[in-house]
Formats: sequence, structure tokens, C-alpha cells
Amino acid sequence: MAQADKKLHIGIDLGTSRSSTAADNGEKRWITSYVGWPKDFVAAQVVGKEVLFGDEALENRLSLQICRPLERGIIREGIERSEEAVKAIIRHLVELVSKDSDARIHAVVGVPAESLNINKLAIRKAVSEYVHSLMVVSEPFAVAYGMGQLKNAMVIDIGAGTTDFCIMHGAIPGEDDQRTNLNAGDHIDEQLFSNLSEKYPNATFNINMVRQFKEQYSFVGDIDDEIKVEIPVDGKPVMHDIKDEMRRACESILPALIETTAELIAGFDPEFQAKVKKNIILAGGGSLIRGIDGVLQEALKEYGSCKVTCVDDPLFAGSLGALKLAQDMPASYWETL
Amino acid sequence: MISVLIERRNLRMKSNILRGVFEDNLRVLGRRAAPRWGTGFTLSRKLLLSLCTAVVMVLIHGSFPSHQWFPESQIRAGLLYRQPVGVPDLRGPAGALSGEVFQALTENQEVPLWRLLGMGVKTIMIDPGHGGRDSGAIGTRGTMEKDLVLDIARRLKSKLEVYDDYRVVLTRDEDVQVPLKERVELAQRHQADIFISIHLNYLPQKPINIIETFYFGPSDDVKTSRLAEKENAGSEIGLNNFKEMVEKLNDELRLVESRELAVSIQSSLYNSSRKHGSDIFDYGTKQAPFVVLLGVDVPSVLVELSCLSNVEEEKKLNTESHRENIARYLETGILDYLGRNKGEALYGASR
Repeated sequence: MAQADKKLHIGIDLGTSRSSTAADNGEKRWITSYVGWPKDFVAAQVVGKEVLFGDEALENRLSLQICRPLERGIIREGIERSEEAVKAIIRHLVELVSKDSDARIHAVVGVPAESLNINKLAIRKAVSEYVHSLMVVSEPFAVAYGMGQLKNAMVIDIGAGTTDFCIMHGAIPGEDDQRTNLNAGDHIDEQLFSNLSEKYPNATFNINMVRQFKEQYSFVGDIDDEIKVEIPVDGKPVMHDIKDEMRRACESILPALIETTAELIAGFDPEFQAKVKKNIILAGGGSLIRGIDGVLQEALKEYGSCKVTCVDDPLFAGSLGALKLAQDMPASYWETL
Repeated sequence: MISVLIERRNLRMKSNILRGVFEDNLRVLGRRAAPRWGTGFTLSRKLLLSLCTAVVMVLIHGSFPSHQWFPESQIRAGLLYRQPVGVPDLRGPAGALSGEVFQALTENQEVPLWRLLGMGVKTIMIDPGHGGRDSGAIGTRGTMEKDLVLDIARRLKSKLEVYDDYRVVLTRDEDVQVPLKERVELAQRHQADIFISIHLNYLPQKPINIIETFYFGPSDDVKTSRLAEKENAGSEIGLNNFKEMVEKLNDELRLVESRELAVSIQSSLYNSSRKHGSDIFDYGTKQAPFVVLLGVDVPSVLVELSCLSNVEEEKKLNTESHRENIARYLETGILDYLGRNKGEALYGASR
């Protein structure tokens, strides 16, 4: 039974690729957003667990029915396992940080903006079983709040499934202040996979390997380093140069990124456009692409002077922002929900 | 001193944002927050304003219930709040109320006069097109317009009912054929304050997807006239109703409000749909001689939500999430028209 006087605030960033959680007891954890259930009785014996998460699920994927529930930023409707997977991830994330089971848990969950539009109620249902009180917000908004950027700022959260754009103007952002497009991390993976398949038809690799190449070497613009990775050919390990393919794949998200940024700024109150342009913040895994802030800043030059920066800790920026929201929320609000 | 002021302003901003998040989440649960009177509008000022209203009414007209400042249809349609730009002042003999009190009442942006007096749109009628043997358009995968619009209408109804202020009525809540004449009569019987007919377009010659919203009026566009002819079929309105129909043509006030409603719905539908679909075209708001719009006495529009002839759109319309989204965009458009933008009404947010 939860004690009324003991409270634990939790911030959760439920992402397509990675999910993180932070609590006001100082705990901070993250997992890759994979859930896997043993395919059959034999598989259950092999893995020894009813459900596996994150990298552990990926490592044992041949024995598991694996699910990445927020593919393209939303819970796929009608796919029961997607909803079940969201529930399982949330339960796991809550358990990772809530060591004190007696406390009342107040959680703020940040989700991709698209998911917030489409699956708001589904997410609430999935989460509410494991917490006492809950609020769901959009991911870029949580990042902005966490950074104290409440006014004249634009957060671009480049995730795996979607890139979410959000303008902050001193109030909770409405529909007109936000945009979403699908040119994000998964799109880069698909492009890189296709580029590499074209250049090295004899090499054998899968999308998971391609994702790992991207996470290690992604860049836009010019760099001096070579990028060589090991990919098997006819079973033998062979080094391949993937620099040009990597650049093309990463730069494939830029046109939509630039266009949407410019469009959203153009729709903002003209008096404050200059201020927003000087305060563009990149978040999400995509902000780790080398050189992306500089290239975006350069591309937006024609719209006037701009300043683009990246968040310090993209993995936890969302969950820490959600945690800050949870902590700042008046107690009476939590009681009502 | 300045830093204290800035600090205080930031705290207020933060508190508004937190309240916005709270109210947004309450709304998802189908609940509403307790009313909040802002810092500039205390309870005592509200009471004083109400008292002034009553006093002015008694002084000028002797009694509250018998006053005829505003025709009932205008009051119900919320016209006192939404005076369209460029349209003559339609608020009745406002001159009789000239003076500071009237000005104070009408200029109060926080509580519009019609809301202060407890008036406004009470009944919203949603008209899902076709039904029964009349399936409307049929997509290449066999999806029928009558089923889709009924589903969207039901979703819209449940969304609007979250706001306790509105009674939402459907002209049909099952798969039955309802003649246009009966739809008009239903609107009159239920004393509908606004009427929204929802349909899906079918353009077999063009593979595109479009959104357009109509309000009653003549049209010299061949495509629009054909569409009206198609939708008017089976209206069961006889020539004996001709005179009554022609008289309604002159109802300029209704026309102006219908246009406003059409613009709100069209812009919400198009702007939001554009974010989620790449091939949607904005065909805007137009006048068209739809009988169902002419027959209804209150602001009325006919929305062609999207194109069932477009194969991709048909696929999307078969998903719950897409239909839910369309209902949400319609809800936003209607709330915008009612001066109750979700952002403003629930978040207290404005740029």
C-alpha cells in the first residue's frame, strides 16, 4: 500500500529507439525500446525469462517474438503486441528507478508528438497501471521545459521514428506550434542500407548492423576521417569504406529538416522570429550526428542570422525535462488526475 | 526591482504552462478543470458586471425576459461574440445601450457578453450524409461513404460532448436512409444552433485528395453544381415548399455566419491534415446550392472531408486513427468558430 506522504516523481522519455527514465531519488536509466517474448516453450527455457528488454532482447532475438512498439512514432493500432510492449516497457522503466515501493509515484511521460496526437489515451492506459498519477506531454516540449526554454525557442527533436519540431512562446504549445515529419533516424538507416546494398552487393549485413554503423559514424558536411567498417563477404570479414554512403544517408534528412524549420519560423509572430532563430535547439539521437548543428545553421542563413545548438545529453534531456515538469507540478493537480 | 518583476513574470508563465499540461491531460480523460478566473477578473468584478447588466436591462426595458435587443436566432448562434469583419453591426438596436456600461460589457474580452448572460450555441447538429440504401460514394476497396461519415460523426459527437455546454445531435445514428427533408425537419425540431453535414468526395477522373467546405449560395462552377445535384437527390422537398425556400435565400445573416463556420472548419481540417498527409489540396470554402443547407435556419455547412476515390486516402480512412484525427480537426474547427479555441479555452495560451 502506498504511503500518502511519500512521493516519488518520475520523468520518462518513451522513444522509438531508446527510452530513458529519471527519478527524484537520483536514479537515471535507459534501455533500447525493444521488448521480446519467447517464441515457444523451448525458447522460454533458453532465455529463462518471460519478457526481455532492450539490448538483452536484441541479443536473444532469434528466440523471441520481438517488438519495437513505437515504430514511426506511434503505437500501431490493432497490433495487440504493440500495446502490450508499451505497457511492458513502462513497467520496466518504472521498476528500474522506483526502488521504494511504498511511495506514491507521480510520472510525466514524454512521447513523440505524433504519438501524443494519435495514441494519447492508449498511452495513458498503458502507463496508468504502474503509477498513481500520470501526465503525458510531447517530447520536444519536455526537453524545452527541462532546459528552461519556455519562450522564443525552437526545439527540434530528431528521434528514430519522427523528427518533432516545437516552438515555445511562453505557453503550452498548440497544434500550430508543432510539426512532425518521418525523416528521422530510421529513415537514415533505410537510406544507408540501400546505399550500401548498391555499392557492396556481395556484402551481407542487416538493418541492425547498419543502425550500429550510423550510431558510431554518422556525420553531415565534410570530415577528414576515413570511415571503414567490417562487413562479411561470403562469410569472411572484409573492411569496407562507407564514408560517402554515410554522408548521403545522413544528409537525406536535411531538406525536410530545413524546410520545416523555416516554415515553422515563418508562421511565428514576426516580431519574435529573430529571437527564435537565435535559439534553435537540437535534441534526440539525431543531434549526435556530427556537424548537423553547423550545417543547419549555415542552411538557414538565407532566412537571417541563426544560432543552432545541441543539447548536452540527448539520451536524458527528455526524461530530465519530464522529471522537472513532474517536480514543478502543484500537488493539487496530481491529486485530481 | 526589474529583476523581481521579470522573475514574477517567469513564475506566472511557468504556472500557466503547468496548468496547461494539467488541463490537457484532464481533457484526454474527458474531464474539465474547475473554472479559473484570471488575475484581471476577480469574482467580485464578475458579480459587479453581472449586476450592471441586470440594472441596465431593467432600466431600459423594464424586465429581463421581455427584452428584444437581439433576435433569438442571433443569440443562439453566438453572434453577439463573433462579429464578422466588414459586416454591418448586426447586434440589434445597440444604440439604445450606448454608454460606458454597454461598451464595458461588449469590450470585455475575458467573458463575452453572450457567455456572461448564459447564452450561446446550445445544440450542435451533425449530419452524416447518405445511409441505408443510399451508400454514397464507394471506394475501389468497397469502402462506403455512409459508413465512414457515420463513424466520424459519432466520434465528433463524443468529442464535443466533453464540453458540457453543448447538446450534440446526429441526424442518423445508424445505417438508415434519412431523406434530406427529414434532416432539415430534425434540425428544426431539435432547435439546432449550428448544422454540420459531413460527406466524402469522389473524383474518379483525378487521383488527387482534396478538402472543401460549402455553405449555401449560387454557384457558377460546373463541378460544384454537379456535386450539389448529386447530394440533393432524394430530398423529398416538393414545389409546395418553394416559396419558403426562396424566402430563406435572403437570410444574409445566416449566410455570413455559415461562411464563418465554413472557414473555421476548412482551415482546421486542411492545416491539420496537411501535417499528416502529403497529397492533400485545399479547395477552400465555396457557395453551392445544397438543399439541406438552404432548409436549415441556422448557420450550416457541408464538409467534403477528403476523397474516397483516392486509393491511398481510402486505405487511411479504413484506419481508426485517421477517422479519429478527422473528428479531432472538425472539433477544433467548430470550437474555433464558437470562439472557444482549444488553446485559448483550456490552456489560457495565446501568442
